[in-house]
Amino acid sequence: MTEPLTRLERLSYWYPGDVRALTEIELEVGPGLTLVAGPSGGGKSSLLRLFNGLIPHFHGGRIAGRATVFGHDVLKTPTRDLARDVGFVFQDPEKQVIYGTVEREVAFGLENLGFERAEMTRRVGEALERLGLVELRGRPVATLSGGERQRVAIASVLAMRPRLIILDEPTSELDASGAAAVVAASLDLVESGTAVVIAEHRLDRLGPAAGRLIVVEDGNACERPTGSQAEASAPRRGRSTSAGSIAWSTTDLVVGPSGLPILACHDLAGRTGEVVALTGDNGSGKTTLLRVLAGLLRPIAGSVEREPVRIAYLPQDPGALLHRPTVAAEVAWTLAHAAGSGSGDGAEVHRVLSEFGLAELAERDPRDLSAGERQRAALAVILAGHPRIALLDEPTRGMDGLARRALAGALDRLRAEGCSIVLASHDERLVAEIADHVVTIAAGVATQVGVAGGAAVATDPSPGAATPETRLLQAARP
Amino acid sequence: MNARALIVWSLAGLVVALSTTNPIYRAIVALVALNILLAWRRPDQDLGFLFRAILFTTIGAVVLNVVVGHLGATVLFSLPDAWPLVGGPWTLESIVYGFNTALGLAAAVLVVAPLSYVIEPHELVDALPQPIERAGIVVAAALNLVPGVGRSFRQVRDAQTMRGWQPAGLRSWSEILVPVALTAVEGSLELAEAMESRAFGSGRRSRYAPSRWTRWDVAIVVASLVSMAIAIWARAAGLAPDWYPYPGLSLPPVSPAMLIASLLPAVAIHR
Repeated sequence: MTEPLTRLERLSYWYPGDVRALTEIELEVGPGLTLVAGPSGGGKSSLLRLFNGLIPHFHGGRIAGRATVFGHDVLKTPTRDLARDVGFVFQDPEKQVIYGTVEREVAFGLENLGFERAEMTRRVGEALERLGLVELRGRPVATLSGGERQRVAIASVLAMRPRLIILDEPTSELDASGAAAVVAASLDLVESGTAVVIAEHRLDRLGPAAGRLIVVEDGNACERPTGSQAEASAPRRGRSTSAGSIAWSTTDLVVGPSGLPILACHDLAGRTGEVVALTGDNGSGKTTLLRVLAGLLRPIAGSVEREPVRIAYLPQDPGALLHRPTVAAEVAWTLAHAAGSGSGDGAEVHRVLSEFGLAELAERDPRDLSAGERQRAALAVILAGHPRIALLDEPTRGMDGLARRALAGALDRLRAEGCSIVLASHDERLVAEIADHVVTIAAGVATQVGVAGGAAVATDPSPGAATPETRLLQAARP
Repeated sequence: MNARALIVWSLAGLVVALSTTNPIYRAIVALVALNILLAWRRPDQDLGFLFRAILFTTIGAVVLNVVVGHLGATVLFSLPDAWPLVGGPWTLESIVYGFNTALGLAAAVLVVAPLSYVIEPHELVDALPQPIERAGIVVAAALNLVPGVGRSFRQVRDAQTMRGWQPAGLRSWSEILVPVALTAVEGSLELAEAMESRAFGSGRRSRYAPSRWTRWDVAIVVASLVSMAIAIWARAAGLAPDWYPYPGLSLPPVSPAMLIASLLPAVAIHR
């Protein structure tokens, strides 16, 4: 390896409140592409934030050891100074936009560094071109798709010409086509000679490969050959063999927010003990359809027929459910309030938490959990008790392999109990694994397709869907 | 339109509209501002909210004044004096007075509205003097999070309803408002992280898009300054007295100087 760009020596870090996040990390990062993997809550985000000094300068806490980035001592150099050398792209494309329009957004960092106008114009133009955003330069950022926004975020750091760009799970909020575009953009950065560090959850989908891979787990970082993380693909789960009774169905349904029709549905139905998956790009109407099925939103036309049973509903943002002091308290509240569920006793709470691997986190504040842990906590909160219908909006968002298996296990349990499950997901593997029916949403029309005897899902996975991480790994090969 | 020129223009409109209570000048300023808004608003801007707000203000001002005013010569009908607040004569003059109050408010709102409907928020930030520019950016960035709070509220209410939550008195709303507030705080922390990561706060900033001045921008500023000067002079010289509908209705007086002052901002229609 050539001279390292960054070096961490015996680096330990504790978040405020003495929560240990990183333990005696020894790590060097050089040019090219470095993948960072590991379970959710294992310390990936903390490690990445060290590279541009957000840890410790922004987050506070306690730090020990040495961290050097391009010759700067991270412990003594504020983030805004490191920003010249290190660019950072965050997970959520909505929460990193400062200005309203694309062009100004890209220029923001350059303005902060006090560049001359001519130089700014040149760099902004170049960054927009590299990311394929030239046509969008005058557009308000709010009107862009998630993938476009994430490309704007990359262009924004690229314009500052950093020597290292960090991407913290940049595709986890995106649909398949958005994720593919962002991965392509990241690869382009590597090819042009910028060092790139990218955290990615779904390494289990990658298959065997070789290259530079850092696995962060329990606050420890170690280098692995890139092939080692590939897991044997999970066995296909047993599908419901005997059809249950119809749990819900729709007739001539047209749905849309605030009375604006965006989606017309061919008649859909789900039986007890069955999983129906909704697939389609962001903004196609999956969430709206789920809300109508839940009875939260009135259909514009047509009707939904279902028995008045307890329905569990998982919103896209798990934070919407979590505000009590402990994870256990949240689960207990559901058990006490949701009709038809078990009692709120400690044993039942413990059982639910264990099912999602949360037993050790029971007394933690849910707001302090990592993104993936939060998602598991949210699932435990809504699936506690015995819902008869479960409506799940993007349940695998931000999840690692372990959490996905916990989810699949819980869904099997629910299915065996005769619960009818509907999930909206971009996670094509999960859909292929557990769905009995797939509802594809395209061009404003939802169509239900049965999955014959566990054969392949009857829809074409979109071309970019399964490949982004594979392409990343190939690029990471020395 | 140049943001600084527009700020001067808005200021001139405010001075003219609020320097007297004369409804003729107020109406002219309001109509000129309305013209600018309709002609130059950004294509993605919907004026519906603004117009509804003005309508409700007008109704509110008229109703409030006629109900509690009871002054004036032209009595429409009377309610028993014993009735608190609403008792007494209801008069035409108090209706007119309510309308005039609303007209003043509408004119003031309409001359300021182009700052948000015609130019982009970042243009306004650019127009700020260097020392308060950073504060302006923070405010503009925070405003980007506002639509998210609305979405978050809907999502939390949905999720908690499905978990068995029901609205029952003020306390029960903490079940919704606490998660919304926590999510908003987290969002602003993430935004702060993003700004810090892009070198916000390091030394003197430069500006990507300097404010460009066209001849019309200069003309707008000159017209606005002259308009302001005339209004202030006319007021000081006693040429622009206040007008009240009480005790009886009369036609508002018109001074040629104030007429010119209220029409001058119309230069901006040409941009």
